[in-house]
Amino acid sequence: MSMGSLAFDEFGRPFLILKDQDKKSRLHGIEAHKSHIMAAKTVASTLRTSLGPKGLDKMMVSSDGEVTISNDGATILSMMDVDHQIAKLMVQLSKSQDDEIGDGTTGVVVMAGALLEQAEQLLDRGIHPIRIADGYEMAAQVAIGHLDKICDQFPLDQSHRERLIETAMTTLGSKIVNRCHRQFAEIAVDAVLSVADLERKDVDFELIKMEGKVGGKLEDTMLVKGVVIDKDMSHPQMPKRIKDAKIAILTCPFEPPKPKTKHKLDVTSVDDYKKLRVYETEKFDEMVKQVKDTGANLVICQWGFDDEANHLLLQRQLPAVRWVGGPEIELIAIATGGRIVPRFQELTTDKLGKAGIVRELTFGTTKDRMLVIEECHNSRAVTIFIRAGNRMIIEEAKRSLHDALCVVRNLVKDHRIVYGGGAAEIAMSLAVSQEAEKISTLEQYAMRAFADALDSVPLALAENSGQAPIQTVAEIKSRQVTEKNPRLGIDCMNKGSNDMREQHVIETLSSKRAQIMLAVQLTKMILKIDDIRSSSENVSL
Amino acid sequence: MMQPQIILLKEGTDTSQGKGQIISNVNACQIIADAVRTTLGPRGMDKLIVDDRGKATISNDGATILKLLDVVHPAAKTLVDIAKSQDAEVGDGTTSVTLLAGEFLKQCKPFIEEGVHPNIIIRAFRKATNLAVSKIREISVKVQKDDPKQGRELLLKCASTALSSKLVAMQKDFFASMVVDAVMLLDELLPLNMIGVKKVQGGALEDSLLVAGVAFKKTFSYAGFEMQPKKYTKPRIALLNIELELKAEKENAEVRVDSVEEYQAVVDAEWNILYEKLEKIHKSGAKVVLSKLPIGDVATQYFADRDLFCAGRVPDEDLKRTLKACGGSIQTTVANLTDDVLGTCELFEEQQIGGERFNIFTGCPQAKTCTLILRGGAEQFIEETERSLHDAIMIVRRAIKNDAVVAGGGAIEMELSKYLRDHSRTIAGKEQLLIGAMAKALEVIPRQLCDNAGFDATNILNKLRQKHAQGGTWYGVDITAEDIADNLKACVWEPAIVKINALTAASEAACLILSVDETIKNPKAGEGGPAGRGRGRPM
Repeated sequence: MSMGSLAFDEFGRPFLILKDQDKKSRLHGIEAHKSHIMAAKTVASTLRTSLGPKGLDKMMVSSDGEVTISNDGATILSMMDVDHQIAKLMVQLSKSQDDEIGDGTTGVVVMAGALLEQAEQLLDRGIHPIRIADGYEMAAQVAIGHLDKICDQFPLDQSHRERLIETAMTTLGSKIVNRCHRQFAEIAVDAVLSVADLERKDVDFELIKMEGKVGGKLEDTMLVKGVVIDKDMSHPQMPKRIKDAKIAILTCPFEPPKPKTKHKLDVTSVDDYKKLRVYETEKFDEMVKQVKDTGANLVICQWGFDDEANHLLLQRQLPAVRWVGGPEIELIAIATGGRIVPRFQELTTDKLGKAGIVRELTFGTTKDRMLVIEECHNSRAVTIFIRAGNRMIIEEAKRSLHDALCVVRNLVKDHRIVYGGGAAEIAMSLAVSQEAEKISTLEQYAMRAFADALDSVPLALAENSGQAPIQTVAEIKSRQVTEKNPRLGIDCMNKGSNDMREQHVIETLSSKRAQIMLAVQLTKMILKIDDIRSSSENVSL
Repeated sequence: MMQPQIILLKEGTDTSQGKGQIISNVNACQIIADAVRTTLGPRGMDKLIVDDRGKATISNDGATILKLLDVVHPAAKTLVDIAKSQDAEVGDGTTSVTLLAGEFLKQCKPFIEEGVHPNIIIRAFRKATNLAVSKIREISVKVQKDDPKQGRELLLKCASTALSSKLVAMQKDFFASMVVDAVMLLDELLPLNMIGVKKVQGGALEDSLLVAGVAFKKTFSYAGFEMQPKKYTKPRIALLNIELELKAEKENAEVRVDSVEEYQAVVDAEWNILYEKLEKIHKSGAKVVLSKLPIGDVATQYFADRDLFCAGRVPDEDLKRTLKACGGSIQTTVANLTDDVLGTCELFEEQQIGGERFNIFTGCPQAKTCTLILRGGAEQFIEETERSLHDAIMIVRRAIKNDAVVAGGGAIEMELSKYLRDHSRTIAGKEQLLIGAMAKALEVIPRQLCDNAGFDATNILNKLRQKHAQGGTWYGVDITAEDIADNLKACVWEPAIVKINALTAASEAACLILSVDETIKNPKAGEGGPAGRGRGRPM
């Protein structure tokens, strides 16, 4: 590593051009490339073993001792707290795949790592980095063009639920929840289908909520067509079950209203004090009456009320839930078709939400209770309620389900699919290397390197499944060519067939496409950098 | 007898002067030029710069890099300044201007060392610059803009040349047409701040889109927002600067309440103030309410009940752009919400773009604004895309105002170089040498283009010199074929104004640095070195 460049004056003394120049470091030229590639490769190799159904999980312990176990690339990387600039880019890469598609976050990093690894060899041979980048770009076009050719379509309607479930199962295959594989896949598909707008091909994830509770088994996880909130009735003696609930949704507290302006009330005599007391009770009575008059039999309140109010509510037989968060309030309002009311005076009958049943759930021996609002007026808001042995598994199950939800959503948006298990990668690799021969310029090498990099995904899959990687991939490659069948992939589960259509290993076209595009974008960006300047304390080498 | 020492300047002041000073300034400028040297041209590389806080920037834009380098050397700062001024004036060519200035200085260094007076050099450079500028004006090609199709062609070519050196080079056709469309939507003055750029992470570059109107990210919303309609056709839009929340109307007022009954009255009064405001907004017929200040939950729910859409805490610039696009005016009171202060547009919609929801206004009556929504993998990637598009937008704006173009890829520099060399032969005196030096300095652009692409620069330059001597005015470097080509035919076009500005700025900077022969630098407060080391004398 060289120091920042120095200039010399007429006496041969160095003088400073940049601020704090002696503290800055600069990496330049091929060294810079090597250091970038090194960093990116390290990140990719961390994730490599998490790929595929037999991929292993990583355990991350944060600085305050919190443990996270995950198999999801984006989660692992965001927890790793990397410091190196290029490694940070890899983290962002998987994050943007997560934001856009939600699935394939591991694959995209492995792909980018492989591309850079191949680029390193080409750099050693003296090929200009931009030529490599150009070649990759050309290859990516070919690969994506080929994907469009080999993809399968299926029209989407309720009757094709089976296909959706199969796709969701592929995603869940690599996750911790694969014990109840089918069940989770069904939950994901049902959740998406119940909130999806098939006309507009739009799925609003705001309407799908995930709640977890420690205890029970993974098998107890269920889809509630309604809302689950982690709250209980404000008083233990309030009814635990309300049929045909009419819900008043309030965003004001159950207490006498206070002006926002700074105020002062002088209580000068005992009489005055008593009056004040009477006023408060009266006010409260009035509020309860206003609620009761509208016919409501349940109050959901964004704010709290004190224990005295709580007692009064119980006396007047008006069950209430307090301290319900803003997003939940909104979800309840959507699900029950009610209106959120900011003031008691505004409460009317038609602003009430309606639900078939509201009940409290209790779990095992713990005192934890949850409120379930079901059979709602509008069934578009759903909640996935996850049970598992410990918090870490619940968190991981949430992430896995999120991936599955994303995949199903993508299928609703764009119902083209490709086959997983490395089949698509191998097919693309073949197409790219074939195309490479037709190019007369230097880019030919870069394209071949791209084809080799594509092989890294099936290689990692085979390796993680305990098969001889090179042999397996070579065999499948030759079979794809001879049988002209782009559906052949790695048989990770040892089911005895390489045809991914038979194994029902399906991935969405949009996900594969985004993977390739994003990986190539990042590779190009890294290859274009030939100069890094940083304050030396920031360099982690 | 000892001569009493006269202390003229404050202790610790650093002065240096004379020929040596000029040389050392020139050396400093060389280093700055070296820092951006490799970013030139379509095969130029990017720089990754990490600042003290660990924020990384990846860029190819000369001005951005120099800004981030934090240069303290006084002479070297001049180069940073000309790059900035080039950026402000024309927006592109910031790397070329720095390189040219550096090269001018390098070429005249031997003359300084040999004792040529700086003023003679300066005079010669000024003369050469004037000659070169008039030559550019003379040979630049005018494109007929009367034909809209041809005019568009011209803009597209200029934009894609500007983009070809950037990270988005592969998608340059896509972005060039996007940029041209964006600029075409503006009015005659082409105000730059009417093009909004929003960045959304994720997705591919090709997912970027141009909205003919205003778009901004959904603001923070309170409960009740989801129940508001998200799509209107021809809504009336109220633009406010009012806080729609329950609050104390006067900040330091204190209410003294005497009896319990009055207590209720104060509470009601406060509610009524808010309701009155909301009522007035509702009555005015506005369907979309935007405010710079927060819109509280009560107001949100009130609007939801009445099928209005509202967004609070809209950033100032977005509100201003909405104002420009939709008409109306920003109100600080609801007392006077009449028809003429309300704006309108064809369609208002909330749309999901990547992970974000966007409020989009399209078909605005005063549609003199547009919004680019950029997509891309990493944050740095989008930021660099934004900078690249900024360059392209500036170029297109310039090209609309000024329709003369020259060929890029080093062609114009080679032609100027040849012209100046031929001209220098006709002059007697020292200026002959100096103008010749400037001619040589101009060759740095094609040479650097070749170097960056990994070509044999000498070979290509020789070919170019020969072609230009034979009258092939527009021959420049052909990056794809590792050869030379007629770049006017190959559609590598740049507006002539960019070149003129770059050339003048570079020669001015060079002259400025040459004319300085003494630097007096005051010591930093509190950092005075040990006593007795003043005057910069060697210890």
